[in-house]
Amino acid sequence: MNSLLLQTRNSRIAMKMRGVCLPPVPSTSRTSFAEFSVRERMREKLKAARVRIFFFMQSEDESRQMQEDESQMSSRVKFRDSVKKLKQKSHVQTDFPSAEEAYNFFTFNFDLEPENMKDETKSKKKSESNQEEEEGKEQESIDEEDCLVNDREDLFIMDQMACDFLVVKPADYKSYSERLQKEREILFTPSILTVPMSQKVPENMQPRYLEDEGLYTGERPIVSLSNQNILENRMLRQEQGKRWFGDDGKLLALPSPIKQSSTRPPIFSLEEGIEPELETLYRKAMKPMHANQYIVGSGDPQGQFQLDIDISGLIFTHHPCFSREHVLAAKLAQLYDQYLARRQQNLTKLLTDKLHALRNAVQSSLDNSGTNFKFIHIYIYRQTRRLRDAEQEKDRTLLKTIIKVWKEMKSLRDFQKFTNTPMKLYLRKEEVDQRSDKKIYEAEIQAEINELLEEYMEEYEKKMEEYKTELQEWKSWKKAQKTKKKKKIKQSQDQEEEEAENSEYGEEPVKPIPPKLADSLEVEQQVREKAINIRRKPGEPVLIPELSLTESVTPNDLCPRAEVLRREDVKKRSVFLKILFNTKEVSRTITRQISSDFRVHFGQIFNLKIFNWPESLKLQIYETVGFSSTNLLAEMFIPVPETTVLTGRARTEEIEFSSNQRVMLDHEGVGSGVPFSFEADGSNKITLMTSGKVSNSVSWAIGENGVPLIPLVSQQKTGIPSALKNIDAVASIGTSGLTDMKKLAKWAAETKLDPNDPKNADLMQLIMVATSGDACVPGFFRLEQLQQEFNFALDEELNRSKRFQLLQLRHREVAEFRNYKQVPLLEREITEKLFENYEKRLHERDVIDSKDHLDAHRALVAKYLQKVRESVINRFLTAKHHFLLSDLVNEEEVPSLGNLGLSLFKLAEPKRPLKPRRKERKKVTAQKLSDGDINLLVNIIRAYDIPVRKPVLSKLQQPSRSSRSFNEMFAASPSPQSPTHSIDWTFNQVLVHPFVEVSFQRTVCRTTTAEGPNPNWNEELELPFRAPNGDYSTTSLQSVKDEVFINIFDEVLYDVLEDDCERGSGIHTRIERHWLGSVRIPFSTIYFQTRIDGTFKIDIPPVLLGYSKEKNLGNERGYDSVRSPSEGSYITVFITIEPQLIPGDPVREKLYYLLKFDTQEDEKLLQAAEKYQAECALKFPSRQCLTTVVDINGKTVFITRYIKPLNPPQELLNGHPNNSQAAAELVARYVSLIPFLPDSVSFAGICDLWSTSDQFLDLLAGDEEEHAVLLCNYFLSMGKKAWLIIGNSIPEGTTAYVLTWEQNQYVIWNPSNGRCYGQFDTFCPLQSVGCLISFDNIWFNIQQYDSPVRINFDISKPKFWKSFFSQSLPYPGLSSVQPEELIYQHIDKAAALELQGRIEKILKEKIMEWRPRHLTRWNRYCTSTLRHFLPLLEQFQGKAVEEDHQAELQKQLGDYRVSGFPIHMPFSEVKPLIEAVHSTGVHTIDVSNAEFALAVYVHAYPKNVLSVWIYIASLVRNR
Amino acid sequence: AELHLIGQIVGASGFPSSSLFCKWGIHTGSAWKLLSGLREGQTQVDHPQLGDVAYWSHPIDVHFATKGLQGWPKLHVQVWHQDPFGRRELYGYGFCHVPCSPGWHALACVTWQPLGSWQERLSQLFVGGGPQLLNSDLIYTGADRYRLQTVAAGTVHLELGVLLRHFARYGVEC
Repeated sequence: MNSLLLQTRNSRIAMKMRGVCLPPVPSTSRTSFAEFSVRERMREKLKAARVRIFFFMQSEDESRQMQEDESQMSSRVKFRDSVKKLKQKSHVQTDFPSAEEAYNFFTFNFDLEPENMKDETKSKKKSESNQEEEEGKEQESIDEEDCLVNDREDLFIMDQMACDFLVVKPADYKSYSERLQKEREILFTPSILTVPMSQKVPENMQPRYLEDEGLYTGERPIVSLSNQNILENRMLRQEQGKRWFGDDGKLLALPSPIKQSSTRPPIFSLEEGIEPELETLYRKAMKPMHANQYIVGSGDPQGQFQLDIDISGLIFTHHPCFSREHVLAAKLAQLYDQYLARRQQNLTKLLTDKLHALRNAVQSSLDNSGTNFKFIHIYIYRQTRRLRDAEQEKDRTLLKTIIKVWKEMKSLRDFQKFTNTPMKLYLRKEEVDQRSDKKIYEAEIQAEINELLEEYMEEYEKKMEEYKTELQEWKSWKKAQKTKKKKKIKQSQDQEEEEAENSEYGEEPVKPIPPKLADSLEVEQQVREKAINIRRKPGEPVLIPELSLTESVTPNDLCPRAEVLRREDVKKRSVFLKILFNTKEVSRTITRQISSDFRVHFGQIFNLKIFNWPESLKLQIYETVGFSSTNLLAEMFIPVPETTVLTGRARTEEIEFSSNQRVMLDHEGVGSGVPFSFEADGSNKITLMTSGKVSNSVSWAIGENGVPLIPLVSQQKTGIPSALKNIDAVASIGTSGLTDMKKLAKWAAETKLDPNDPKNADLMQLIMVATSGDACVPGFFRLEQLQQEFNFALDEELNRSKRFQLLQLRHREVAEFRNYKQVPLLEREITEKLFENYEKRLHERDVIDSKDHLDAHRALVAKYLQKVRESVINRFLTAKHHFLLSDLVNEEEVPSLGNLGLSLFKLAEPKRPLKPRRKERKKVTAQKLSDGDINLLVNIIRAYDIPVRKPVLSKLQQPSRSSRSFNEMFAASPSPQSPTHSIDWTFNQVLVHPFVEVSFQRTVCRTTTAEGPNPNWNEELELPFRAPNGDYSTTSLQSVKDEVFINIFDEVLYDVLEDDCERGSGIHTRIERHWLGSVRIPFSTIYFQTRIDGTFKIDIPPVLLGYSKEKNLGNERGYDSVRSPSEGSYITVFITIEPQLIPGDPVREKLYYLLKFDTQEDEKLLQAAEKYQAECALKFPSRQCLTTVVDINGKTVFITRYIKPLNPPQELLNGHPNNSQAAAELVARYVSLIPFLPDSVSFAGICDLWSTSDQFLDLLAGDEEEHAVLLCNYFLSMGKKAWLIIGNSIPEGTTAYVLTWEQNQYVIWNPSNGRCYGQFDTFCPLQSVGCLISFDNIWFNIQQYDSPVRINFDISKPKFWKSFFSQSLPYPGLSSVQPEELIYQHIDKAAALELQGRIEKILKEKIMEWRPRHLTRWNRYCTSTLRHFLPLLEQFQGKAVEEDHQAELQKQLGDYRVSGFPIHMPFSEVKPLIEAVHSTGVHTIDVSNAEFALAVYVHAYPKNVLSVWIYIASLVRNR
Repeated sequence: AELHLIGQIVGASGFPSSSLFCKWGIHTGSAWKLLSGLREGQTQVDHPQLGDVAYWSHPIDVHFATKGLQGWPKLHVQVWHQDPFGRRELYGYGFCHVPCSPGWHALACVTWQPLGSWQERLSQLFVGGGPQLLNSDLIYTGADRYRLQTVAAGTVHLELGVLLRHFARYGVEC
């Protein structure tokens, strides 16, 4: 039965499945028909039909989802099939399923079998089926249900219609009232009526208001009352609704979250007024005027600004003329003011109210919660009480003092029997109800006692607690002690141990003392005492003082004499105020008399139009007594108003002043600064100072168009960031208001700042502190207030850092660190030594050090020069940062057509290899150079007339002069100098073997040795150049002070063979070199000239022992006439720098431009000068034309102002009273003795600064120009015709010479060495003449040639000379910048002598220092001989003494071979002397038995001009 | 602690015309101290013939020492235009913070220009010029700037190398 049922069911399912599979084919079902009974068949048929219908219906509406459905079906099919197969199998075998089969049936996991798939789903895609198969399992149950449903046949009755299912109904409607009724049942509408308080607060409680208790509650958000009521009503309906309410019966609420100001930026239309600091200004597109406008200074022409100062009046709070009564009155007034202020504040009342509120709160909280809250309340309460007590006490004492002062005043009036002041104090009594008052008083006291007791109780409890714990500890300790002791007793054998342990217990805890309980009686006593002190007694009337000015002042005739005097004195006094703006007086008030009540009314308003930013505003009070002079009473500073303070809005403020002058008066007036007393016996002395108040107001004016006339804030030195302004308090009262506490407090009051808001806590505390005046307020306001807290290093730490210091110094281009490279990274790598020099310099800037200079005056001058130099350099450094276009852009010039043609033409030129030309070298900018890149090329070509060795034996020699005398030169023809040569001269002629040694920066190069007095070397020497600090910038190169020394030596061979026998077999000679002369060329000259090419006169000492200048006429007879003018020795050299450096000319020009603006010359003259110069430059660009120069103050001065006859020192003129030529030579010599210091060295090649002759003589150092000007001036005063020549010379370059007209001949003077040359002297160093300058005109050379030999010096011919002042521009008579007369100090012989000794000592030490490996012996005999010669040399200026000299020496030092010479120098410093001695190389002699002799002579000329002679000789003993 | 900035103002792009120059400056708080280098400067005018980017490649080399982090340096620029007549007019203000992490940074500083009234704009269109800030602090002090009416201008490109030293010593990690 079971199986059958199972089977039928199965088959039915199978059937159905088949039908599903192939719905329209009946044949498949037909095959199975035979197997079933008829009945079954019928049923099947019916079912099949049903299924078909079902499917038909389904397929119709599911046609869209066909695919899905199909797949669904297929999965079902598969599953069913597998089941069926199983069933069929089991059915065939047995009727009942085996256990295994049963198990399988229920548990089999119907996985897909591949065969089944093939069988049943051939048409389907494999993947599809796979996916769907999983779903299939799930849907099985649904399917089966479907099947079950299908079994209910009534659902599928075919002939049912749609109308059978539908019913038409009217719209459902409930009446309004009904609906209301229903709603009322469901809904709750809270009423809008106010909820009674009792409902909101817990039962039996009063609402308490935290705000009244002094707690901060915050601001509640704004909600309309009805809404609030509705919400409250609703809340109360809820369970535990009351917990939504606070103690005050209001809904709990957070503070209002709405911000006062909108977060979103408001939209401004441009038509509205814009804040001044946000204003923009329409500027036209403009051509830039100055290049120095960076972002900071906006630099437009500012408008006018106006400051209004209103001075309304002056009140003295003390004045020397105050009588005693006045003093008291002032005090009373002050106290009364204080009283009024306090009453207005009414702190006592406020605090008392607060106290009450707090007391209530404490009580209520005691009843209720009793938590932490309580403690806070109690704490606040106690605090408040203490505050209130303090305030009460203050009130009371103030009242008391007022009354006391008033009483004193009354008694004083009684005593002196007259009244001075109209002050009168009334005390108004306010009666009070005695009984109620007493009640309140008692209650107060009781309350206080209770509270105090409570407080004490608490304290007691706390202490008790402590006591207990301490006691516990103590006890336990005691116990431990005891047990230990017991132990010890047992063990007690070792004494020492015990002792040690005893000491351990040395600090025995003290037994704690139980605290005392406070006595209530005692407390009461205390409280009452305090209350009596600080409070009104019960029943005592309330006293209210009132001050009035109703008292009548006693008229003069009723007063005693002293008082009358006082009053008269007061009348005599008057006061005025001066207003000082930036410490300059700008205006003053009218003078007003001091009235009898010491008040002065001015009521004046001053409008200050200002240009500068106000640095300070000051008022000075002056007092005049009678007609006597005014005296300054006091000064006070008025704060410069904030930019927001405008006229009309400014408040009048009172500024207090006081003076510390002592004034004693002989009348009733108490004086100032003088102690006086009110008592008859003179006790209780008081000293008062003059003081008072000025009421004034300062504000910025408003212009006509309503624009405030305020300078920009950015111009202010201490600019306040404008950001701060708009935030809060700072903006509304200005920053200065922040320091002014009163203002701040006022602001706080005005804005109704909630004092309880924690946000404002700081501010309120500050105000409290400030207004109560108890604590001191810091006198400053910090802008970045948290800066200090966030700093992680201190200022000192930064300042101390050596690395930072080094970096900063380098950045500032401080001389010592200007080119410091590579600052060490670590602090410890920087040595202190680095800063030593710098600090020393800073330190010694003003200390004069005479060590280096040997002469105080020169030291001073050196310091002065150093300072001038520093300031010029600083100016120069700023100028260096102004760049011209040419500094930055290197633009190659576009070749013009003419140039091009010329160069093309040159190409066609025949090549001339035997006449080489110098090519223009490429110039190198100095920036990328480093050490070793630059070389100095020195080409030594030839020399003429080198002194020759003199045979020792030849005694008769023609005296020869190293320099021609003046007279000789003017002889019409050179004197026949053919010497009377002895026959043996030609045989004995000893050749000279000269060689040249060039030393530069202590590197030395030498040529080979040539022969004869006219050697020809033609050698090129290369010397490396090293710039100081490795700085190859133009500035530093310009300031290189090194000189190139070209020394000429004679190489002498000495035979040192001792034995004549060996002469055949060997040569043993020693080479010695003897210095013959030198040429010095400063590096700066080479640098500026770029090349030096010419023949120079060799500086040969006047005496060269063992040498003589011979005229080699015997050999060169034919050239007699040509050679004759050449006197002295000459050398031809060519010097240049490789690679060529660009001299820093642009810088000079720039500075020149900078300086040019600063002048006092007439504008017309300057214009004419510029025009003249331009014209000249156009014609002859290479010739020098000078019209204006810069003086030592940096001002432009017209050049002729420098020329003026000036008296030379009288001593020089006295020397040769008859011989003007000799005098002229002496004067020239004097001028040349002033040390030479080129500007280009001292001022780093910036510009020529011309100092006047007196400055020049004071400085004792100067350039060629100064020398030339002085010499020219001297010559003019000596009655000569003299001009200044501006031209080019060798080696100086652009320089100034002097031209004189002597005996129908023009003579050219070289001022820097005092030599003179005839116009036709070919060896004159002057190469070209640019212009001539006299005291009244300038002549520019417009001749074809500029060499002095080829030009005509006749300035009267306009064809040759273009004059500056002519008929079209007559000479305006320019005043000279030179002094009227030069004043010379007398010669200080003693100082010269002292200097002489010191120089000698230094030089000797130096020579010994240079010979470290040899013993340096000094020959005293020789030295003393030499010392005798030197004054002679000075006297004859080194001329014509040689022979005597030589003979003398020979005689005295017969068996010595002497070689030596005197060196002559002007004295400036020791260093050049040392250098000169070193360069001669005398010390290099290394014969073991050499001896030395050194003598120094200093000859003093007026004005401290010193001529130094150094005679140095080496002696070698002949065998 | 030390901060060393080495870099350059590369150029500017996006301005209506490209013959531009730039004034620049570095603003710091009071805790900062200049050790060496220039705090402010001005570039040359670049007339690019190709493209609309003006290249200046202006070097910046500033070395600061500081005792606090407050007032970290800000770089502010003003871009100016030089027109064919040689006149100059403002094209934009801008500022950017100096990056606070060490290393190389490429920054783009956007700029703005104050907007004038319509009359001003009209004259600006025809004769050049334009509104400028009276108070150039406003470029980098932030408080009031939002109330200005501005127009966006182009971008200034910067390349900055930031070197920090000893910040870690004071507990600043970077």
